[in-house]
Amino acid sequence: MKEENATMTMVIHLHRTPGDDTASTYVLPRPEEAGIGASDWSGVSVSSALQYLQRAVDPALAFSLSCRRGLCNVCAMRIDGVVTTACTTPMHDGILIEPARSTLLLRDTVVELSLVRRSRLDAVVATHADERDA
Amino acid sequence: MDSWDVIVIGSGAAGLVAAWHARAAGASVLVVNKSLVGRSGATITSGGGVSVSGRTAIGLGFDANPDDTDELFFADTIRSGSFLSDQRLVAAMVEGVGDELRRLIADGAKVSAPKHAPGHSSGRGVRIPGPSMQRVVTTAALHAGVRFREDFQSTDLLTRDGAVVGVAGLDRRSGVVEALHARAIVIATGGATSNWSLRTAPEELSGDGHAMALAAGAELIEMEMLQFLPCCLVAPDMWRGLQFPWILGPQSGVRAWLLNRYGERFMARWDPERMELATRDIVAAASAAEVFEGRGSPNGGVYLSWAHLPRDIVDNFPQWSRSFSADWRWEGFDMTPLVERIRAGHAIEVAPAAHFSLGGIRVDAEGSTGVPNLYACGEATGGVHGGNRLSGNAGAQVLVQGKAAGRSAAALARGRSGEAAALVDQEQWRSVQARIKAPFERADGIAPFDMKRRLGQLVDAALGAVRDGAGLAKALEELCTISRDDVSRLACRNRDPGWNRDWSDALECVSALPVIESALLSALARKDSLGAHRRHDGKAQPATNVLEHGLISRKADSNALVHRTEPVLHPFLAPA
Repeated sequence: MKEENATMTMVIHLHRTPGDDTASTYVLPRPEEAGIGASDWSGVSVSSALQYLQRAVDPALAFSLSCRRGLCNVCAMRIDGVVTTACTTPMHDGILIEPARSTLLLRDTVVELSLVRRSRLDAVVATHADERDA
Repeated sequence: MDSWDVIVIGSGAAGLVAAWHARAAGASVLVVNKSLVGRSGATITSGGGVSVSGRTAIGLGFDANPDDTDELFFADTIRSGSFLSDQRLVAAMVEGVGDELRRLIADGAKVSAPKHAPGHSSGRGVRIPGPSMQRVVTTAALHAGVRFREDFQSTDLLTRDGAVVGVAGLDRRSGVVEALHARAIVIATGGATSNWSLRTAPEELSGDGHAMALAAGAELIEMEMLQFLPCCLVAPDMWRGLQFPWILGPQSGVRAWLLNRYGERFMARWDPERMELATRDIVAAASAAEVFEGRGSPNGGVYLSWAHLPRDIVDNFPQWSRSFSADWRWEGFDMTPLVERIRAGHAIEVAPAAHFSLGGIRVDAEGSTGVPNLYACGEATGGVHGGNRLSGNAGAQVLVQGKAAGRSAAALARGRSGEAAALVDQEQWRSVQARIKAPFERADGIAPFDMKRRLGQLVDAALGAVRDGAGLAKALEELCTISRDDVSRLACRNRDPGWNRDWSDALECVSALPVIESALLSALARKDSLGAHRRHDGKAQPATNVLEHGLISRKADSNALVHRTEPVLHPFLAPA
């Protein structure tokens, strides 16, 4: 609730292409200006901050989010060097957000977390050729 | 493979139980999920209660009450639902839950002995924590040979001559729009609770299954009925929807006080004897009514206060409660800052949060929707709980309905395995593709998230724990305007088809609109209060009135939704 915490710098490594680890730096406005119901950023999760960035700053930003309670783990990422759930981690000034593991990276903060990979179909299963998306 | 026997849409407990049974019956089964299997849906977030009668529990080897019969379990369920339930569905649930629980235990679920939960006349709530339940059903489906499609957002059922032949959607990873064919489809997409912004439910429950079923010709039942959990946090954003204050207060028997902005203990007007310890539906309705009448707190809730109690009550709480550890970890959160505020004498703002969809797709006890080849199960369906849901009955519902829908779908598909599977015709496929791709191909217009937020505000305001006719009519008018003018302007700001959140959001809005409209139409039509549906401008439904189901369907060859009523049948237990 201290005024000096109202704006903060958030550093995110966005791995848009494999091998690219250039840090993108974002400066966030006060939560109320961002349309988030909290008096300061310590009451906002990393997930909500990413949601805001996708909405207002970079529409291409990819992130996963489901339960918002630290139960499903779909939002797992590396925050200040530690892999944890983004939905339960409060924001702070200078936070560093990276994918949980670069070898599993799919897009930005999204990594391969499938529990059913060996029984999964990824390829397009078209039933006849002209149905395939052009 | 040119066609699956069975496609199940959704991978919570209902969907994976359906998939397991369909596979066990010899069908080829594909489970399609919008996110990751085992890491999405409401099953993980549930307390994991499964209701079972004492006698059935004894048959499973538990220490339970031998006087508690299936009939008593049935009667408690019907009464708590204000006699609005489809009694055939309840009978199937009560009789069938034991067998499915036995299978779950055989598959490795660690189940705790039955405990007594409010509303049940006996101890019949066995417990499997939500994440464990999800793990067990996921592993069982994997071992049975079920196949999976993940990050596939289903949007449209494909039909041929009125029968469902497949499902179309967006592969979120690649951005490819695709059709998947099956002889039978099971919808297990969960509730429509994400359409409320204040909720306990996860992010993705926009009612996609409801919308697809409605479009294919199925009926929705009791869409106005939504269960709210009282005393959830409204702020800050990170904790919004958490039930922590309810657990630290009334749920545990701790005498915290509910106060309005004037400091009045308003429960005195609603339940002067039990006050804050009244049942959760009463506390939810009372809290919402205070806000509705202008006596709420700044963030649209009321206050829950422990300030009249010595601090020791809160400090010693973790010693006797299993809900909290001494370091105040709660689910994934460190709640110490909130506890410090309580200890310092502050009240906490709380409000009822959307928790469970009581209404949904109408099915029979076999899981059939009435649309050829289309089945549904779990929270996506309506009619089991009537006007209110007892603790643990969702767990029983998903197990029993999942089994019924999975077996029915497999039997139908296997019976036709000699025939060539029907495929969508090219004209329909082209129009479905165009519909799915439209927001992506449109560069300028309304940002999907803005519509999502607007819908959340509309639903919170009109379809909260207390409603009134004027508010519902106004919301319906706004919603129809959005459907007419704004859907065709949804546009993605991101040109990359893979992992395109704008695109996914846009498709979720398109699905949510008819589902929200159904809830508004149903809430408008039910003019008196009944169960979870509280009309501020109505009265309690007189006991002499004939009880009616509220049903929504799509007018043939148009998108218009129509509401009709049907008398509730009471084949087993009539209101006294």
